[in-house]
Formats: sequence, C-alpha cells, structure tokens
Amino acid sequence: MKRILWVSLGRVRYHKALEIQRKLHSLRGKGEIPDTVLSLEHEPVITLGRSADPRHILADPAYLVAKGVDLVEAERGGDVTYHGPGQLVLYPILDLRGWKRSVKWYIWALEEVMIRVASSFGIAAGRLPGYPGIWAGDRKLGSVGIYVRSWITMHGLALNVDLDPDGFEFIVPCGIHWAKATSLSSLLGRPVGLGEAESRAREAFAGVFGVHPVEGGLPEAVAA
Amino acid sequence: MGRRKEVELADIVVPPLGDVQEVRVVRWLRDVGDEVEAGEAVAEVEAEKATFVIEAPVKGKLFAILVPEGRTAAPGEVIGKIAEKGDAE
Repeated sequence: MKRILWVSLGRVRYHKALEIQRKLHSLRGKGEIPDTVLSLEHEPVITLGRSADPRHILADPAYLVAKGVDLVEAERGGDVTYHGPGQLVLYPILDLRGWKRSVKWYIWALEEVMIRVASSFGIAAGRLPGYPGIWAGDRKLGSVGIYVRSWITMHGLALNVDLDPDGFEFIVPCGIHWAKATSLSSLLGRPVGLGEAESRAREAFAGVFGVHPVEGGLPEAVAA
Repeated sequence: MGRRKEVELADIVVPPLGDVQEVRVVRWLRDVGDEVEAGEAVAEVEAEKATFVIEAPVKGKLFAILVPEGRTAAPGEVIGKIAEKGDAE
C-alpha cells in the first residue's frame, strides 16, 4: 500500500500554513517529497477564495482586527469562509495522477473523509447537490476548497469539530445566506477533542485514498 | 526586415478535469502581449470548489484572450492563444 507522510502541525496561523503548503507543493511537483497531508487548526481567520464576494463578510474590518481575526485572500476555489481553533483542517499535497485526474473525484473523496469521520461519531452527515462540503441536515459541518496545478493539490478540507460557532457570524459561509454552521460537539452535546477527530480523520483518509499514512515531521527543506 | 514569417499560434486549452462540464475563468495571470514561458501559469479556472491552474503550452507572447475573466468555458475549449514567434520580422 502506498505510504504518505502525515504531518500534525498543531495550531498555525493561516499565512504560515500557506507558506508551508506552497513549498511542499513545489517540492511535490519536482518529485522530491512523497504525497503529504498537513493536519492542523488555524488561529481565527476569514479567507476569501477565488470566487469570493466581499459583501459576504458581514463584520466590520475594525471589529475583526479588535477580535484578532485575520483576513486573507486565498487561491483556493470558493467564496468566503472562516477557520478557527477547534476546526480540523487537512491540506493534502497530493499528485492526483497517482489516483485520478479528476477534480470532481478529489472533492468527492475529501467529502467522503469527513462523512466517515462524522459517521464514526454516530452522526449522519451527507452531501447536498450543488453545495459542496458536508451537511448535517441543513447545517454545514465541513467545507472543501482546493487548488490544483499540474495535478498537484493544495488547500483541502475543514471539519468543524468543536469550534465557537460565533466565528461564522462574521460571514455568509460560502455565500449561502441560509447556511448555518454546526460542529461535531454541538451535534453530540459534548466536547470533542481535536486529537480524537484527527486520528479518526487519518483512518478515514487512509480508507478513502487507499494509503498508509506515516506520521512524521515536515521535510527538512520545508522545516528550515 | 525582409519577408514576414508565419507566426505560429498555439492554443491555450482547458484540459479535461474529470466529469466537469463547465469551468469559469476566474483570472488571467498575464496580459495580452506579455512574454510567457512554457509551463508558466497563465490563467486560473474554477469548477465546483476547485481552482485549476492553466499553464502556457509553449514559450511565446500571449497573443489573445478568447474567454475573459468571469466567463465560462468547457473542457477542451480554447481560451487563449500564444504567438510562438513574437515579431513577424
């Protein structure tokens, strides 16, 4: 079975994670590193994808600064989203030629990872046609947003594990006005540790992508 | 100066992305007239929640943008042209 590198970074600012992703993306393109998954949570940040409508940021910029929320433009697909502590973020840096040259399949696979994690907690989450991400009823539990160049991926998925849902009040998630966010812990009525969610996500990722994730640190060229 | 040489025009094509019927051109990263290297990122298209980078097929000058930002295109469609020989001298 194909081995991939699984790197847990803990809590990382968005900019820092983006810098790491870009380096990994370039190295993966040159074949210098294996397929790698970054697992982390972000400090509070609102990101604008390529199709972002700035009107979907509801909060006053001064208020965001006061709250310590960063505002960042990202090259991933999609509209506006929020990341914050208690949300599990996976950034797979994969050469999709090793699986399938299909962005649709890849998004399906990322959604599948999140559906399996939710299911392992006894939560029935699913897809909503036309609205990528995963949903528990009409509430959004997880998001996807990816970037592909030369079939090498960046960005990925964000699963709401145990985060303060107030963060989503700053924005219109994905530009969908009726979309309210939920989390595994809200649905279960108990706290869920990010570590627990991550280990289940690693297992789900292994199953969906048919790989053996090996935990390790960042490749030397990136860590420096 | 001499005779005008044929300017070879190379197509910038949206590649097959796998079961995607339509993409939206979200941004052109180069302007008409810019020199581009083969493999250089020239445009970004979006499908579903994916940004996909379109690279220049050859080295040359961006000659034409056929599908501007905000418009849609289908995989296989030509969205721009690169002139392989910049000057027709």
